[in-house]
Amino acid sequence: MTQATIGGEGVAARGPILELRNLSKTYGPVQALKPANLSFNYDEIHAIVGENGAGKSTLIKLLTGVIRRTGGEIFWNGTAVALDTPQEAIDHGINAVHQEVVLCRHLSVAANIFLGDERMKFGLLQKRQMTREAQKLLNDMGFNLPAGEMLGNLTIGQQQLVATARAALRGTKFLIFDEPTAYLTRQEAAQLFALIRRLRASGVTIVYISHRLEEVFELADRVSVLRDGNLVGTRDIADTNETELVSMMINRSLEQIYHKEVVPHGELLLETRNLSGRGFEDVSISVRRGEIVGLYGLIGAGRSEFVLSLFGRNPKTGGQIFWKGQPVDIRNERQAIKLGIALAPESRRDQGLNLNLPIGFNLNLPIYDRLTRGITISPREEADHANKQIRDLAIKTPSRRVLASSMSGGNQQKIVIGKWLNHGADLFIFDEPTVGVDVGTKAEIYRLLAALLKNGAGIIMISSYLPEVYELADTLHVFRSGRLTGSNPYHAVSHENVLAEAIGV
Amino acid sequence: MTTTEVASKEAVRARRNYNFLFALTLLGLLIVLWVALSIATPNFMTDRNIPNLLRQGSLIAILALGQTFVIITAGIDLSVGAVAGFCTVVIALLLQSGVPVWLAIVITLLVGLAIGIFHAFGITKMGLPPFIITLATLTSLRGIGLLMTNGATISITDKSFTSFATGDFLSIPNLFWMVIVVALPSYVFLSHTRWGRYIFAVGSNPEAARLSGVRVQAILYLAYSLSAVFAAFVGVLLAVRLGIGNATQADGYELQAIASSVIGGTSLFGAVGSVHGPLIGAFILATINNGANLLNVNSFWQRIITGGLIILIVFFDQLRRRGR
Repeated sequence: MTQATIGGEGVAARGPILELRNLSKTYGPVQALKPANLSFNYDEIHAIVGENGAGKSTLIKLLTGVIRRTGGEIFWNGTAVALDTPQEAIDHGINAVHQEVVLCRHLSVAANIFLGDERMKFGLLQKRQMTREAQKLLNDMGFNLPAGEMLGNLTIGQQQLVATARAALRGTKFLIFDEPTAYLTRQEAAQLFALIRRLRASGVTIVYISHRLEEVFELADRVSVLRDGNLVGTRDIADTNETELVSMMINRSLEQIYHKEVVPHGELLLETRNLSGRGFEDVSISVRRGEIVGLYGLIGAGRSEFVLSLFGRNPKTGGQIFWKGQPVDIRNERQAIKLGIALAPESRRDQGLNLNLPIGFNLNLPIYDRLTRGITISPREEADHANKQIRDLAIKTPSRRVLASSMSGGNQQKIVIGKWLNHGADLFIFDEPTVGVDVGTKAEIYRLLAALLKNGAGIIMISSYLPEVYELADTLHVFRSGRLTGSNPYHAVSHENVLAEAIGV
Repeated sequence: MTTTEVASKEAVRARRNYNFLFALTLLGLLIVLWVALSIATPNFMTDRNIPNLLRQGSLIAILALGQTFVIITAGIDLSVGAVAGFCTVVIALLLQSGVPVWLAIVITLLVGLAIGIFHAFGITKMGLPPFIITLATLTSLRGIGLLMTNGATISITDKSFTSFATGDFLSIPNLFWMVIVVALPSYVFLSHTRWGRYIFAVGSNPEAARLSGVRVQAILYLAYSLSAVFAAFVGVLLAVRLGIGNATQADGYELQAIASSVIGGTSLFGAVGSVHGPLIGAFILATINNGANLLNVNSFWQRIITGGLIILIVFFDQLRRRGR
């Protein structure tokens, strides 16, 4: 089993329901999905696994018509189709249930199930009939949910079940689940699995995307692995095991670009003892000058919440923080900045940048107090500081007056980092600094980390991309469900062990 | 790489040119209106009408300027007309009870400040949308003002106070000088101080601003206080001009102020705006009203023309933004 299995093994008379031939997607210079051949059979549950950024969401968006393919062909029941719009996908019978429920919270369960397909009589809504039918549907599926209840009053897990029921009602032939169990309790997940099996029995093809390998083995008939936009391979579930899948998910091809600088560790900068807050519990770590501390884990594992708390954005609920040996209580961002902490947050769009303002403005935002002479800002110093960062970081812009929104992901990340280089700090916290960044810029960011270390800074680096933190961090902590599972000095354990810890297999 | 570089270089130039052109277009529109009106009616370019027009526009211009600070933070201040009306009552009562003019003015401005602080408190601490909290003050301030005077109008008898409105300096009406007195520091503040920068940062992305060390709440207090103090100042000028205190004055001024700001290129989504824009916008509106009066156009038409102008200008602005 070294070759990817392509095409319909175990399919009787019928060919695949959906077949992708050399399907690819590029965003500018970034190849989000490299030419992939993949087929989905009737009556199968096909799992797709891969790390964050491996191309799973790109694949879903292509299949549901949200984005257009750059190359390749898609065959639906043996006929070439365009799949250019969401409506076309729905017309074929392709539906998706997303991790975040996209329904109307202020309407009843029944109204949501029939949304866009309401039962009418003389132009009037037949509310009672819809509630009755919806209730029957839910009961048939084994969901103990009230059809008349307002959707917003249900748990996220129950809303997920409603979304599934809605898709099932619509004559769906091909149903994609994107991380459906992320917010579900065990019991809700069991209900969902039962429904998925029932859907398969009734002839629906299921694509199941998940980080949780145990679910894949419980549910799927076949599994495909994506890595860095490559379809690495497809396996029958009976022919594979967790170890093989994990090794397929991990990428080594980028190793050569990691620039690991070994710097003697200096003064202890930050130490947390049993720190707790919203989204994380009982976290104890320490960072010294010259050290990179890596925080690995899946998105939502509590890593970002932890560093936001260190930065004073969210209050801690328990435990202690020590800064250079002294106990401190970091109540707001300004206090953290004053201590010498800098944060390049996870979301460039929502947290990192003032997108509709110029690059120079963004770079100088933390230091406008320093640029002020008397009452007004010195225009010369403002220009000098912005231009210096643009030059040093090789931000590709003709002018500091260009809006940050017009920059590529990599250049935007440089702006987020550049504003803190402009300001200066002892401890730099980088939350997912290389997400959505091309390989060249990744290498530049790694070199930048090395330079900061040499200058005596300490670094906390959060990443969902294992090879990156694995190669760069001196100490690697793994987060799972808000807690540390263990802490490993540089290269003391294998990739496989770290990933296994994070996903809990 | 080189193509995108060239493209964005052109984009920068285009944007700078655009901003310049937009300001120029507005000014051009104002001049065209003036020229057209002087041709259309002999009553326009007269020693009586022009100062009158400047006085009319001045009050809205100052309101629009204060409003602009708030709109740049992606907020809105619906209360400015009511604050101005309320403040005519405050200053009239103060003068009636024998408070010296300078002190009465200071106290009135402090009342404005208190109202602005209350708005920011409602937004930052009570979590109310700016629209709601300022709408609430809009209605309740009129009520409070009427209660204070029992619905009566209070006349201001101090001649030295009221003569200021009709006076001029260097043959420019005093009220127009007040616009300059307010606009110059506003320009320095908005374009050349860090506080001005922070106002833009909060309007663009409050979370990013906060994580960069900006005191977002303090900036909101600043913006709403400025708007309310400017409105209180307009209340003082209104009392000067008409010589009375009555809480029902300045009715609908808030919409004219918002319209002036928007016509002047301020984006209701925040982070886009200037000092000169709302000023020119206010005088364009004043000219349209003035011209319509002189030409005996039904006054209802003035409102329709204003509405059409808002749609037209904001539509062109949207076209430009989408095209970028």
